[in-house]
Amino acid sequence: MSEVEGKRLATGRINLLFALPALTLFGLFVLLPIGSSVWFAFTKWNGFTTPEAVGFDNFRRAFRDTVHLWSYVNVTLYILGTLVLEVMFGLVIAVLLNSDRFGFGLMRGMFFSPMILSMTAAGVLWTFVLDYRLGLLNAVLESVGREEWTRPWLSESATALIAIMVVSGWRFAGFYMIIFFAALRRIPRNIYEAATLDGAGPVRQFFTITLPLLRASMMTCILLAVTGGFAGFDLFFTLTNGGPFNATEVPATWIIRQGFDNNQLGYATALTVILAVVVLAVALLFLRISERVNVVRY
Amino acid sequence: MWSATERRRPVEWLQFGLGALIVAAMFYPTVWMVLSAFKSNREIFRDPFGLPDEWRWSNFSEAWAQGGLGGLYVNSMIVTLVAVTLAVGCATAAAFAFSRLEFPGRRWLYRLLLIGLLLPPPVVAIPLFGILRDLGLLNTLWALILPGAAWSLSLTVFVMYGYFNSVRPDMEEAALLEGASTWQIFRDISVPMVWPSMLTMAIVNTINIWNELMFALLFITDDDKRTLPVGLIRFFGRYSTDYAMVFAALTITTVPILALYFLLQRHVIAGLSSTAMD
Amino acid sequence: MTTTFRLLGATALTLIAAAASAQTEIRFTHSMTSGGNAAAMDAIVAAFEEANPDITVRQITFDDDVYSDTGLITQLQSNEVPDIYFQWAGFPLARDVEAGYAMNLSEAMADGWADTFIDSAFSSGAGTTVDGDIYMVPLSLDVTNTIWYNTAILEEYDLEAPETWDEFLTVIGTLAEAGETPIVTGNNELWPLGNWASHVAARVVPMADFDAAFRQEKTFADAGFRRPLELMQELHEAGAFNRDMQGLGADPAMAAFFQEAAVMHPIGSWLVGSAGEMAEEGFAYSQFDTPVIDDAAEAPRSAIGTLTGLVVHAQSANPDAAITFLEFLSSPEMQTIWAEGGALSPVAGVEAEIDPQLQAMSDLLANADAMVPPPDTTYPVPVAEAYYQAAAYAASGEKTAEGALTWLDETVAAMGQQ
Repeated sequence: MSEVEGKRLATGRINLLFALPALTLFGLFVLLPIGSSVWFAFTKWNGFTTPEAVGFDNFRRAFRDTVHLWSYVNVTLYILGTLVLEVMFGLVIAVLLNSDRFGFGLMRGMFFSPMILSMTAAGVLWTFVLDYRLGLLNAVLESVGREEWTRPWLSESATALIAIMVVSGWRFAGFYMIIFFAALRRIPRNIYEAATLDGAGPVRQFFTITLPLLRASMMTCILLAVTGGFAGFDLFFTLTNGGPFNATEVPATWIIRQGFDNNQLGYATALTVILAVVVLAVALLFLRISERVNVVRY
Repeated sequence: MWSATERRRPVEWLQFGLGALIVAAMFYPTVWMVLSAFKSNREIFRDPFGLPDEWRWSNFSEAWAQGGLGGLYVNSMIVTLVAVTLAVGCATAAAFAFSRLEFPGRRWLYRLLLIGLLLPPPVVAIPLFGILRDLGLLNTLWALILPGAAWSLSLTVFVMYGYFNSVRPDMEEAALLEGASTWQIFRDISVPMVWPSMLTMAIVNTINIWNELMFALLFITDDDKRTLPVGLIRFFGRYSTDYAMVFAALTITTVPILALYFLLQRHVIAGLSSTAMD
Repeated sequence: MTTTFRLLGATALTLIAAAASAQTEIRFTHSMTSGGNAAAMDAIVAAFEEANPDITVRQITFDDDVYSDTGLITQLQSNEVPDIYFQWAGFPLARDVEAGYAMNLSEAMADGWADTFIDSAFSSGAGTTVDGDIYMVPLSLDVTNTIWYNTAILEEYDLEAPETWDEFLTVIGTLAEAGETPIVTGNNELWPLGNWASHVAARVVPMADFDAAFRQEKTFADAGFRRPLELMQELHEAGAFNRDMQGLGADPAMAAFFQEAAVMHPIGSWLVGSAGEMAEEGFAYSQFDTPVIDDAAEAPRSAIGTLTGLVVHAQSANPDAAITFLEFLSSPEMQTIWAEGGALSPVAGVEAEIDPQLQAMSDLLANADAMVPPPDTTYPVPVAEAYYQAAAYAASGEKTAEGALTWLDETVAAMGQQ
């Protein structure tokens, strides 16, 4: 990020006032909840009665809770899936739709449109597509004579997570496409023209020019996909709510289930603390790596 | 750059064709949802892919009335409008302060604000519930507006800060020499200058807050204070067998925001291209 | 900062309260949203408001799952508490009493009101009392599970409602062979099959052991839960269930039953209330209770059921108006309306023209040799849920009965004493 480190317009404590509204909102509804909750992680609390201190019991339980441990495996698989089906796919489409010709603007809008639908709408739509008895997908398979391929997509452990990844790709690829597209717009045309004169085809141009110049955007997108993957809750909630048999259980759905379905808010808070630590660690590790990548290349 | 009026070369036709094919597949579920909204329930199952035999506009008025969509719409609009205004306003002022002004703790506070980029909202659902209760905000629209705005701040400040840094402060410095106060500079020079980026973030935040589900599910209990996403989930539960109704309700709630995006997408991309998203 | 916000919030509340002070408003929250029940409740509320012009009743309704997961807890803790709320007897009510949310109604019900209910309504096993004090006005008797079936399809195959488990398996086998889906259940929330599997367990596990296992005093293996899980596995092997059982919701499964996509549907008595809006004209159905599994068991013909009722919030601003409404609601006239809407009234001697299916439910309860409450309203929820999931494992073939049992005891051990 290029920073214009010039003379500051004004100095002094009073200038903090400009940042104060944002900091207040942020402190009250983002930082304070995180900070104040830590204590509940050390209690047994059902949300109704007074919390009762239990030391590290909740954390010990968390590390023996196999569903909880598997939820990290599931979310990792999901994130790997999104890197391909969202980030990579988004990049390919951004390159493909990078044209000023008539119709391309509309196509970019249409590609982005699933992003605008509410998660509820997307969930209902895809439940209908994937339903075993009445679903569109099985109807199509039957109509082309592939009845043996029909299955209850969201009810089998083997397919449920994959189905969610596909829906997730459908929904979010447009978001990454837009980021890559905006970055592509900043690459000067004459670089490509020079490469064309040197006899480089479109595929070689993609790997030798586009990809290296998009490295920074790529890092941003991967960071957003990784942190966004941990934050993903809506899609899982509307499609499977963690089922079948916890096959699509991710930390967020498991925390909500423990906290609100099973009324174990103390335990759920402990799981929350663990999730926060994991996400922060992953993000910091990622930033470290991305800094190193940039240092090595430049 | 290829001129838009020049004749297309074969490779461009290939590009167009391939693009159109993929885009059509991506866009099809949305089209299918809208077409199904015009059918009768029986027709959806009998002929899922065809055009409706008869365009039943009455489905929409029925869904609108049965689902109480009017009230849900108003709530969603209030929440989105207030929260987006709050988020973009606060974030612009903060980004201005972080990039143009000097004060104790400037760098440190900016980094603190970015923590929000790394944490998923479900992480705070439970403690946030307690805080909203203590503030007496539970079950009011403020319970969606304030957290909604707060959770939009990190990304918005991040993008706005990048935008400020990509624009030289020449005009602001000129105003300073003419004796304008910091507030006047912010209001009369900086805000008009970063307007495109503010619009971009307003659209991005509108999409996010309009569709927010989890806070809305947890913090609002009264029927008359619910927002669209929650209302739709309930509507779906109640009409689980009447798909025509469900699709009509979905169409009514989706099409306006879709149209808004198509109208404004040029600005979103312009705002992002000129911003340091990297 | 916090203080300022509190003040702001308080001011806003005062303003709202002032605007509505002309009338006493009772806030009444519940999850009765389906056809018959909702209509009957609306009629009762209308009658009450007519009889008591100075009181209005504001109903705040949720769908079942939202109500029990988040809807109720959010409201109980909010600044505007509901005056009356719907609750399940047993564990949930006892927890509310412990947390100080439920008002003691013993005194209000002392002058004969309590005597208008059926004898068992306030017995120690009913879960409406805590330490001998009444905290709930019973509203409905619910049969938590029975097996509904499509009479036309059963006749088509010359089958009859089974009376023993072996006959049951034969019926399932015949139907499965003919390409029908014998049983549809929408188990993505785990309770639909879980309740039934608990009933099956209570038919073969001695009551004391059943109780000990759910209270974590005995392992499920030692208590004898291998047998019920084996019975679930047997059903799976006979091809009893719909393939998408684990991904399907409870409501879509019921819809599938009414759309004739399956022959049998194990669920509670509330199906009767939904039949009106979900079933096609002329749809013929009936029910049989879970067939006798072991005649030598402690209670071979037990029924699974529970009481639900209404609780007055301890911090209610209008407890008198709330009690007036509840007394009105329990009167024989109102209970007649209530019963005709599709509920089993707990008030003694209510003579309503009820649905024959409902009459059958009533007989089922009367003829049962014991009443088993569903575990998720009797014992700590996580333990109940773990058993429900184990049952789903066995019933879907995801694990063997043995594997499900091992998983169950390990899971319960890992969660610590609840």
